[in-house]
Amino acid sequence: MKKAILYLNQFFGQIGGEDVADFAPEIREGLIGPALPLNQKLKGVAEVTHTIICGDNFMGSNQDEAIETILEFLKDKEFDIFFAGPAFRAGRYGSACGNICKAVKEKFNVPVVTSMNDENPGVEMFKSEMYILKGGASAAKMRLDVKDMANLGIKLLKGEEILSAEEEGYYGRGKRHQKWLNPPVNATDRVIDMLLKKIRGEKFTTELPIPELDLVPIAPAIKDMSKAKIALATSGGIVPVENPDRIQSASATRWGKYDISKLDNLPSGVFKTIHAGYDPAAADANPDVCVPLDALRAYEKEGRIGKVHDYFYTTVGTGTTQKEAARMGREIVEDMLSAGVDAVILTST
Amino acid sequence: MKLELGNFYVKDIVFGEETSYKDGILTINKEEALAIVKEDEHITEADIAIVKPGDMVRLVPVKEAIEPRYRIGGGPVFPGVTGDLMKTGDGRTLALKNCSVIVVGKRWGGFQDGLIDMGGEGAKYTYYSQLKNIVLVADSDEEFEKREQQKKNHALRWAGMRLSEYIGKCVSEIEPEEIEEFELEPITKRSSKINDLPSVVLVLQPQSQMEELGYNDLVYGWDCNRMVPTFMHPNEVLDGAMISGSFMPCSSKWSTYDFQNLPMIKRLYKEHGKTLNFLGIIMSNLNVALEQKERAALFVAQMAKSIGADSAIVAEEGYGNPDADFIACIAALEDAGVKTIGLTNECTGRDGGSQPLVTLDQKANAIVSCGNVSELIELPPMETVLGELEALARDGLSGGWSGDELLGPSVREDGSIIMENNAMFCGDQVVGWSTKTMAEY
Repeated sequence: MKKAILYLNQFFGQIGGEDVADFAPEIREGLIGPALPLNQKLKGVAEVTHTIICGDNFMGSNQDEAIETILEFLKDKEFDIFFAGPAFRAGRYGSACGNICKAVKEKFNVPVVTSMNDENPGVEMFKSEMYILKGGASAAKMRLDVKDMANLGIKLLKGEEILSAEEEGYYGRGKRHQKWLNPPVNATDRVIDMLLKKIRGEKFTTELPIPELDLVPIAPAIKDMSKAKIALATSGGIVPVENPDRIQSASATRWGKYDISKLDNLPSGVFKTIHAGYDPAAADANPDVCVPLDALRAYEKEGRIGKVHDYFYTTVGTGTTQKEAARMGREIVEDMLSAGVDAVILTST
Repeated sequence: MKLELGNFYVKDIVFGEETSYKDGILTINKEEALAIVKEDEHITEADIAIVKPGDMVRLVPVKEAIEPRYRIGGGPVFPGVTGDLMKTGDGRTLALKNCSVIVVGKRWGGFQDGLIDMGGEGAKYTYYSQLKNIVLVADSDEEFEKREQQKKNHALRWAGMRLSEYIGKCVSEIEPEEIEEFELEPITKRSSKINDLPSVVLVLQPQSQMEELGYNDLVYGWDCNRMVPTFMHPNEVLDGAMISGSFMPCSSKWSTYDFQNLPMIKRLYKEHGKTLNFLGIIMSNLNVALEQKERAALFVAQMAKSIGADSAIVAEEGYGNPDADFIACIAALEDAGVKTIGLTNECTGRDGGSQPLVTLDQKANAIVSCGNVSELIELPPMETVLGELEALARDGLSGGWSGDELLGPSVREDGSIIMENNAMFCGDQVVGWSTKTMAEY
């Protein structure tokens, strides 16, 4: 049988109320409070061997110490899954469940499951990192929430397919994947259904909820361009012809930076594009149309800008996910900042 | 305009002495068929195979799929492409159903090419595993693009069309088993019963991103990159006015077969006169320059408004850059007071964590989504491969790679593969077949 360990706060751990909220972590063999129904609902797939109890204030005020102590408790324990809560609407408890689940998952690489009400601030803090089941507002929902935690735990322990957030009842972790509808419904039927509802002013559910945009504020203008160091960067895939960093032609995860300090332009035959998403003819014949070093050098000679940065930065934009692009962007910016770059001209295609 | 599609339901396909159709059995004279393929001197090698649902066969690199047809009267099935220009969508065309001509490169693949598994767990990723397929495996002397990632695939794609016309011709003298009728009255001549229904226009955004001619979808043989949005009758699309191009990552692509059978059109016909008044099609495009995108959106919104559309459905053949056209078009329609539904796929990355479309707008509040192009797919080796398996890894197919630090190459020594959904042949079925959706995990 698999083994499970449950984390509880001082209240559900039957130590006491708010007056003992600074209770330091303890681990106890066997079942306390919600561990009993959890053990029962795990239906013999796993048994709860230990219960950990920690006061909400202790976790809140001495988080590092609390986590370290609990991880130390767990070091010599055998367990296949870690549960915390349910935390209902209790904010400090929710945050504690999230923090300890995160630490246990990272340290021991076991599945972690908790449960919170949608008004618990712990949901927003931790939902992208773990399975948080949608729980009730108060302990009146204890039996139901524990059962949901156990059911998801059983699936995880058996290695069964975890369905979508909506189907399983956990908060979406921000990961969108394709799935086949069961029973199957053609896209045409879904379109007509949604269309008729929209026309009639009835409620409909889009299959692609538009997330809030992550807009970056525009940086303040440079006051004196004649002293500014300007860098060139591109998602147009211009690289030395041998593509030394093996940047991918599509769905890129790599970027490169190449020395242009001794060049007045990017000669054809020395540089080319490896971007698979546009017609390469013009950029191969004259890479400056994509990375305009020639024009920038002219500005430099005229004194309109201070200096062209010694390197240009490059990757491929086609099929590249926003997440990878953001990561590469952060890495590139870090490099530019350390080189004292004042502004960047980012060319796309 | 009234189109009659005369259907023949193919139960089996065999090679034999005479290319003919009888009692559901399609017989193909291979030698004669290959002679048609080789009419183009650029075809250097060619062979034909027959594959059926459940066969443990992997096809790659797949370039195109076409339904075999014959136009009564003998005109070209694809006017402006395989013959002179003529009107389509009015009259009778015969079609061999449940089958398609699939064009596979004997060696070389490219960015737009895809993969089909006829059997096993990979079969669910593409519509074409459900069909009985006449597979043309061929090579050409188009040396200029042999090592290019982007290929026009002209010789092979046109050979596929010739072959499909040749096969379709065998039913020219036979009475079809079923007639499907498609008729829409002129917009201003409809009964009050129909006019009182909410009206809808279907906006199609076929692939047109390449500036150079020869890669994009064609409308009556005209490159879609060189057009502004235009109004079309749905029958024209069903009857050969549109052919697929050779550019888009494959799961997002619409094959010529997809255009010939476009499910969204057929579904709108079913609703016409019952719940909706189907006005017709605005054929837009997906050009890359921002001004071209804005111009197209302006045209679409104006046309929809001018013909009195209460609602619209917008479908895009692509992702990434084309998402800008898709969203701009939806926003322009909503701004014009046209209630709009979007039909698309998404690119959320292998881990599902990325923004689903490259541009977003709160006005696009009703979208049907058909899949994630970057979903990772791992499949076991297949007994038989038609084409060349290595093409998936070697030739820059949008869902394949030659090496990856974590995943290794797309094609492994034992013939098993790991790829992105991107390379599944017309896999996301945005034309309407898709039973896939997207969900948050």
